[in-house]
Amino acid sequence: MEVKCPVCNKQRNSSMKIARHIFGTGDKSHRGWVNSQGVSFTDLLIAQAMEAGNRGFTTLAEIIERVQETA
Amino acid sequence: MERIIHLNVNSEDYEVIVRPRESLLDVLRNKLNLTGTKKGCNEGDCGACTVIMDGRPVNACLVLAVEAEGQNIMTVEGLAQGPDLHPLQEAFIRYGGFQCGFCTPGMLLSAKALLDENSDPTEDEIRKGISGNLCRCTGYTKIIQSIKEAARTMRSGQVDERMRANE
Amino acid sequence: MNNDKHTVVGKRIPNVDGYEKVTGSAKYTIDMVLPNMLHGKILRSPHPHARIVRIDTRRAEQLPGVKIVLTGKDTLGRKNGIWRSYRELCDEEILCRDKVRYVGDAVATLAATQEDIAEEALSLIDVEYEILPAVFNPLDAMKEGAPEIHDGCERNMNVYRQIEWGDVEEAFEDCDHIREDTFYCSSQAHACLETHCAIASFSHDRKLTLWTSSQSPYYTQVLLSDMLGLREGDIKVLKPHTGGGFGGKLSLDSAQYCTSLLSMKLMRPVKIVLSRAEEFAATKRRTPIHYQLKLGAKRDGTLLAKKVRAITEGGAYTALGGTALYLTGFFSSFPYKYPNFQYDGFRVYTNNEATSACRGFGAPQANFVSESQVDMMAEDLGIDPVEIRRKNGMTPHHEIPDQAVIQSCGLQQCLDAIKKYIRKRGELPPNHGIGVSAYGFMSGGIFNWIDTPYAFSAAMVKINVDGKVDLFTGATDVGQGSNTTLTMICAEELGVHLEDITLHVGDTSVCPVDLGAWGSRQTLMSGNAVKMAAAEAKRQLLEVACYYLKPNIVYDLNIKDHWIHFTERPYRRVSYFDVVKDAIRGKEGNPILGYGHYTPHGKGMVSPAYSFGVQAVEVKVDTETGQVDLVHITTAHECGKVINPIGLEGQVEGASIMAAGWTLTEDMQTRDGKIINDNFRDYKLLLAEDVPKMTLLEVDTYEPEGPYGAKEAGEGLTIPTGAAIANAIYNAVGVRIKDMPITPEKVLRALEKKAAEEKDSEQFVAAASA
Repeated sequence: MEVKCPVCNKQRNSSMKIARHIFGTGDKSHRGWVNSQGVSFTDLLIAQAMEAGNRGFTTLAEIIERVQETA
Repeated sequence: MERIIHLNVNSEDYEVIVRPRESLLDVLRNKLNLTGTKKGCNEGDCGACTVIMDGRPVNACLVLAVEAEGQNIMTVEGLAQGPDLHPLQEAFIRYGGFQCGFCTPGMLLSAKALLDENSDPTEDEIRKGISGNLCRCTGYTKIIQSIKEAARTMRSGQVDERMRANE
Repeated sequence: MNNDKHTVVGKRIPNVDGYEKVTGSAKYTIDMVLPNMLHGKILRSPHPHARIVRIDTRRAEQLPGVKIVLTGKDTLGRKNGIWRSYRELCDEEILCRDKVRYVGDAVATLAATQEDIAEEALSLIDVEYEILPAVFNPLDAMKEGAPEIHDGCERNMNVYRQIEWGDVEEAFEDCDHIREDTFYCSSQAHACLETHCAIASFSHDRKLTLWTSSQSPYYTQVLLSDMLGLREGDIKVLKPHTGGGFGGKLSLDSAQYCTSLLSMKLMRPVKIVLSRAEEFAATKRRTPIHYQLKLGAKRDGTLLAKKVRAITEGGAYTALGGTALYLTGFFSSFPYKYPNFQYDGFRVYTNNEATSACRGFGAPQANFVSESQVDMMAEDLGIDPVEIRRKNGMTPHHEIPDQAVIQSCGLQQCLDAIKKYIRKRGELPPNHGIGVSAYGFMSGGIFNWIDTPYAFSAAMVKINVDGKVDLFTGATDVGQGSNTTLTMICAEELGVHLEDITLHVGDTSVCPVDLGAWGSRQTLMSGNAVKMAAAEAKRQLLEVACYYLKPNIVYDLNIKDHWIHFTERPYRRVSYFDVVKDAIRGKEGNPILGYGHYTPHGKGMVSPAYSFGVQAVEVKVDTETGQVDLVHITTAHECGKVINPIGLEGQVEGASIMAAGWTLTEDMQTRDGKIINDNFRDYKLLLAEDVPKMTLLEVDTYEPEGPYGAKEAGEGLTIPTGAAIANAIYNAVGVRIKDMPITPEKVLRALEKKAAEEKDSEQFVAAASA
């Protein structure tokens, strides 16, 4: 299933990859979109850095899926 | 409190005004303009300022200029005799015994002091002889080789044929 | 390609700067004095994190001999950084205005008639600080509520970089064995023997000349232009001989900036030389990194997936740390063909000295952890360490998706050579062990941080009426020997002797722009530019020679040994000197000029070419003291066509020992942000007595992108030594140290732990069988 980046429309085959793409790009518009979803870009990035597992990126992936479904 | 002292550096006599706490290194570099002797740490740890004083290698940064009064001092500028390089200098060039060159003057004088004492040092004796001289570039290997080859040349009193073959 | 045809390239050529360097006549910046020159000093913060409330300079200004005292308020207030197009990464004021962020941050600078007066005046500057809470560990710095080091930088997250290809999560499910390990790589001081220093001279014509010890005069010029508000062309940077760089003389430094500021106010030359203690505390250093690695393999040793998480300690500023962050990730995949790879790298600010480029640029750290883990994986699977490397090792024409294209690669031959060496070494004495590590490195980076429209390298060749050649290049020799390499390339291409060439380097007003000495770039990039410039000049001579020799086409002619001749029938020839004169006549009396340039393209994101190698280190471990002695280092390195074997050997030997020092003895210790071993007594570089015998095994390859087939041979050699030592220790005494530096205490503690575990299991077995 193709998933689109809600900011720049980049397509990847999973929401996790789009979440990674959003953090990897990290510019003002991508950062701003994450922060507009009721979570903090920096907090999620730091969760990814400090915690075992993938919580930071998974949280964003779930948000992306939710947004994609409602779109 | 400044005083006049007499130094003999590279067989030349100098009369210099020095302050009591001034190091031989600063006098050589700043007053005699012999900047071949390098300042790497000014604490006696790196050996870049090694000169030969009365036959012994010393860190010029740890010697007070007033202590050097009347002593014979040799710096890197005194190694070559006119157009003829010292065999150590020849060997350092030929065998790549330097890279950035900053430790080289001190290294050459530690090596000279060693060879003056011992014309046929073992590799371990060479390592020990330059163990007060830090080099960040070469990993010492080519320096040790250069010193070994220079010793050989000096003992045979002529240019080693193998060196020629390398040209 | 018949390499035997070369007349200069590949020969053992003594360094062209040799005569100056062995006679003491080589002038370094530290040796220079200008008429009317003043001496400057810099006041540095004793606190790791504090707000500057007030600076009172009056007492210092009143000291006889003091000419001026400047603080951050006297600057334009701009922030410096090498990523000029990313303003948030330009974060270093150099002379702080409101806040200091590490012990050593500059708060004031002054100039006086004599150095000791300047030193005394520093103690007369009164600074009132409001001390702020500080944080020294990146893991603490990310925590909620940690002090914010840069305003607006939430939780001190400086840079995040990711690399990914394939799908690691899916691939791990297909693996038979997975290892997860954590490692720590420590910092390292560059420890150049010549400390950072500069002399700035600004005069009433509003032009600035700066003599300085720098790895890139062009970067220095551009960055100073940003900070001082001068046009680039009004700044001339001169680089005399330089006493080492190793990555530490790439950023704009406090000596360069403060001398410039002082000279602009005083209209007199000002010199600043950093002390050894300042060199340790207030320059830059190697990036320490916390790693988590997950490696998955099939039973047969095929490495299927690798996941890397790195948290790098940034220290107070970005410097070149963002690139170290990227490269440590990229080189975590080297030198293997991982089908699935994922890297997440986090660079975090702390209140320590900033971390940056240091010989190897993140790759030695990546290799220490990766090659330690590959050995552990091989043991788990019961596979020979050389064989697991062979099975997965890169081969020519390998493509890393979205990242890199590797053309030449001699890794497999290097593995063969090392395997043969180990077999020949045979049975080892007790407590001896040999460890191996395989590596690869780039031949220059395709990174245009500075955002320049100029070519990455350029060169100009001018042939004069007497046949002498002037070679102009912006390439920078900091000891590694690029002056010799580039002179050799010019002589080879032009068919003249080395003595015919006069090299012009280290002057931004005369030399074409070159990005300088970093990322092992100059042999390939500057070498290509020089080769092109020489070829362009040569073509002009050959055109004139056609009138004499009447070839079918100009390409039938060549120049060698001062004769222009038919390539196939060299006896049909005309004198190089005669043709030079005629060529100049035909050009209305102008000398013959050739211009060359090189910017990599079509080679991926990282580098135009990669060198490879395998190193075997033999160690002896004293089980009583934990002391690790180096017995022998054997390196099989392939760097394409070797331009100068003396230079190559010097790089292999020097880099291996610098890396061995990092691994074993160079323990940079801090207390509350202050480096406590800021001298060579307590910060231990390896000495001549510590250095083992070293052997270089030659492996021939040819790199189509490089001049005469050459690749890098500079930083790459610092990469393998750490892991090879760690693996050797394990093979010697069975303890695995994952936390650098590998001090005797750590080895001893590990040996004790191992002995206790063995005793426990013996007791368990005894109890079970009773």
